[in-house]
Amino acid sequence: MTPILELRNVTRYFGSGRDRVTAVDSISLDIEPGEIVCLVGESGCGKSTTGRMIVGLLPPSDGQILYQGQDIAAMDKADYQQYRRAVQIIHQDPYASLNPTQTVRQMIMTPLLRHQSQRSAQNGSGGGRRSRRRDAERRAAELLEIVDLTPVAEFLDKYPHQLSGGQRQRVSVARALTVEPKFIVADEAVSMVDVSIRVSLLNMLSRLKEEFDVTFLFITHDLALAKYFAWEGRITVMYLGRIVEEGPTPRLITDSRHPYTQALLGAVPEADPELAKKKTHIELRSAEIPSLLNLPAGCTFHPRCPYIAEGECDTMVPPLERISEGGSVACPVRMSEPTQLI
Amino acid sequence: MSQTTDLSWHQNVEENGRQPPLSLQDVHVSYRTRKGSVQAVRGVTLDLHAGESLALIGESGSGKTTLGLGIVRLLVDTAEVSPGKIIYRRDGREVDVLSLADGPMREFRWRDCAMVFQSALNAFNPVLKIWDQVWDTAKAHRWNNREEVRERFLDLLRFVQLDPSRVIDAYAHELSGGMRQRTLLAISLLLDPQILILDEPTTALDILTQRTIIDLLRKLKEDLHFTMLFISHDLAIAAELADRVATMYAGQVVELGPVEDIFYRPRHPYSLGLIRAVPTVTGGFEELSSIPGSPPDLINLPTGCKFHPRCPYASERCSSEEPKLERVGDNHFAACWHTDAVQDDIERNGLRGKKRS
Repeated sequence: MTPILELRNVTRYFGSGRDRVTAVDSISLDIEPGEIVCLVGESGCGKSTTGRMIVGLLPPSDGQILYQGQDIAAMDKADYQQYRRAVQIIHQDPYASLNPTQTVRQMIMTPLLRHQSQRSAQNGSGGGRRSRRRDAERRAAELLEIVDLTPVAEFLDKYPHQLSGGQRQRVSVARALTVEPKFIVADEAVSMVDVSIRVSLLNMLSRLKEEFDVTFLFITHDLALAKYFAWEGRITVMYLGRIVEEGPTPRLITDSRHPYTQALLGAVPEADPELAKKKTHIELRSAEIPSLLNLPAGCTFHPRCPYIAEGECDTMVPPLERISEGGSVACPVRMSEPTQLI
Repeated sequence: MSQTTDLSWHQNVEENGRQPPLSLQDVHVSYRTRKGSVQAVRGVTLDLHAGESLALIGESGSGKTTLGLGIVRLLVDTAEVSPGKIIYRRDGREVDVLSLADGPMREFRWRDCAMVFQSALNAFNPVLKIWDQVWDTAKAHRWNNREEVRERFLDLLRFVQLDPSRVIDAYAHELSGGMRQRTLLAISLLLDPQILILDEPTTALDILTQRTIIDLLRKLKEDLHFTMLFISHDLAIAAELADRVATMYAGQVVELGPVEDIFYRPRHPYSLGLIRAVPTVTGGFEELSSIPGSPPDLINLPTGCKFHPRCPYASERCSSEEPKLERVGDNHFAACWHTDAVQDDIERNGLRGKKRS
C-alpha cells in the first residue's frame, strides 16, 4: 500500500549563519492510511515543526514530504489544493485558534460553503445559493453532533468565550471535518483541557478514525496519553530534532530500548502511589538539555546518557536500525538490551 | 536570622507542639464581578499537620489556587475572604492570618509560609539579577548580614542541585524552566519557613525536568520533614508526593484522606471519576472514561450537591440536599450521599477500566 504520508530525510532550519538552529534533522517516517502515529518528545525536539511541515504550514529546508506518493513541493495547483484540504491540523490552544468575533455557526459554515462552491465548480453542478446554504446548515448540524456538541441548536450561535476549553476543542475538530480530511495532525490537542474531559475528546477522535477512516498524527509530550490513544498504533520518539526510537505502542511502552525513551518512561509521574514507588528511574549524567544552537557531536543524547560508549557515541550519529521486536532504535549500544521499568 | 517581631500573636490555649501549624476553619472566598458573586471557595475546613504533605487536587475552577492564595492573602482586590478563619500556629502561639495587619502579614509571608508559584518566570523581576532579588527579600525581612544571606543562599542552591556560580548573577530569562523552578524553591526556603505552599510546581515543565523537581520535593519531605501544601490538577503529583489528599470540587473539599485511600478506595464519585480518567504509563492498556458534562458555573451553582448534574449515582436527594464531609474510614472523609454505591461500583467493576493486553 502507498503510505498516505511519507517524510524522506526532512530537515528544517530556522535562522542563518551562527544563529542557525536545526529544529528537525533529516527525519524519515511512513504513515499508512488508517494508522495512528504518536510523535512524542519534550519541548524543542521538533515535533510541532514536523507537524506544521506535514500540513503545509511550513516548507522543509531539505528533503521531501509525499502525500499519497506525490511530492507536495512538486504538485500542480489542483493537487496541492486537494492535499491542503485532505490534511488538517488541530492546534493546542483552543483559546487562540478560534476567531473570537465569529459564532460557531459562522466558523463551521464558512469552510463548508467555500468547499461546496469549489466542488460544484469542479462538477459543473450547482443548485441555487439558497439550497447550498440549506445543505451547509444541515451539514454543520451533523458535524456538531459528530463531535458531541449537543443539543446542536444550543451551540450554533455561541461565541468562543461562551464555551469551555473542551467545547472549543470540539469546535476546532468540527471545523477541521468540514473539508472531509483524510489525515489529521493533532498538535497537543488535549493538553489544555481538564483531565476529566480529556478522555472523552480522545475517544471522540478515535471514533473519527473508525467512522471516517481518518489517519492520525498525534503530537504530545504526554507519554501516558500517547499510550492510551495509540495503543493499536505506533509511537515515534524525537530528541533534539531526530527520531531516536519508534515502534508499535505496546512494545515501545513495555520494552523500550533507547536510553532516552527509557529515561522518559521512567520519569513520567504516575497517578498511582504504588506504581510511583515501584518504578525505576534512569539516572542521567546531566539534567540540562543541550542548546539547539550548539548541539553535541555524534548522538545528541550522549552527554546525558548513562550508557555512553566513549569514542563511539560522541563521534558517530547512530543510525535508526530495525529490531526484531518491532520498530527501530537509534542506539547501537543498547538496542538489543531488553529493559523492564517495574 | 533576626527575631520574630511582634505579630499579633495569641498565647495558645494549650502549649502543645503537636497542634497543626495551619488550620482552615470554614473558609469562604468570593470574587465580585459584574455578573454577580463568584463563589470560588465555599466553606473549607482543613488541618495541615506538621511534617505532612497534603495535596489539593481538582480541575480548573475548583477553588484550589484561590484557597492557596487566600492563605498568604495575595488575592486580587475583588476577592473577599469571609466568613472563615485561617489559624496559624508556631511555638505554642496562634494567630488568625486574616486579622494580621499589613506589616505582620509581610512578615508571615516567606518567614512562616512561603509560596512557590506556578509560573516561575513571572515570579521573578526580569531586570534584577537573582542575587539582588534574594538580597532584597532578606532585607525586607530585616536580615541585613550580607555574608550570612549569601552563604545561606549558596547552600540552598546546592541543595536544589544548581551550580551557584551559574545562577547567582544571572537574570531569570537566562535560566531554563527547570532551573528557574529550582531557584524559586531555593528562594522560598531562604527564611526557613514552617510551611511551603506549592501551586502546580511541575506544570509546564518537561518530563525529565519534572522528575528532578519531584525528586527534590521528595527530599524536602522525607529528609527535612517540611510541611507542604501541594496544589495541582495533576493526580500524578499527588500520587508521587502526598501523604494526604483533598479532592476539591466547586469550591469545597469533597473527599479527604490518606493518599492510598483516595487512590485505591475512593468514596466520592468525583475522585473515582478522576482516577478512571487518567492513564498511567507503565502497565497494560486500561479503558478510561471521562466525567460527563463540565464544571459548574460558580455564579449560579446547582442546588444540592454541586456534582450531581455530572454524577452517575445522583438521586433526587442529591439535587436538593448538599452532603457534608462524613467519616468513611480512618482519617478518611467524603461528602456524598452515595458513598456505598461508589464502593459497590469499585467492587463490581474494579477501580479502573477493563484491561487489554
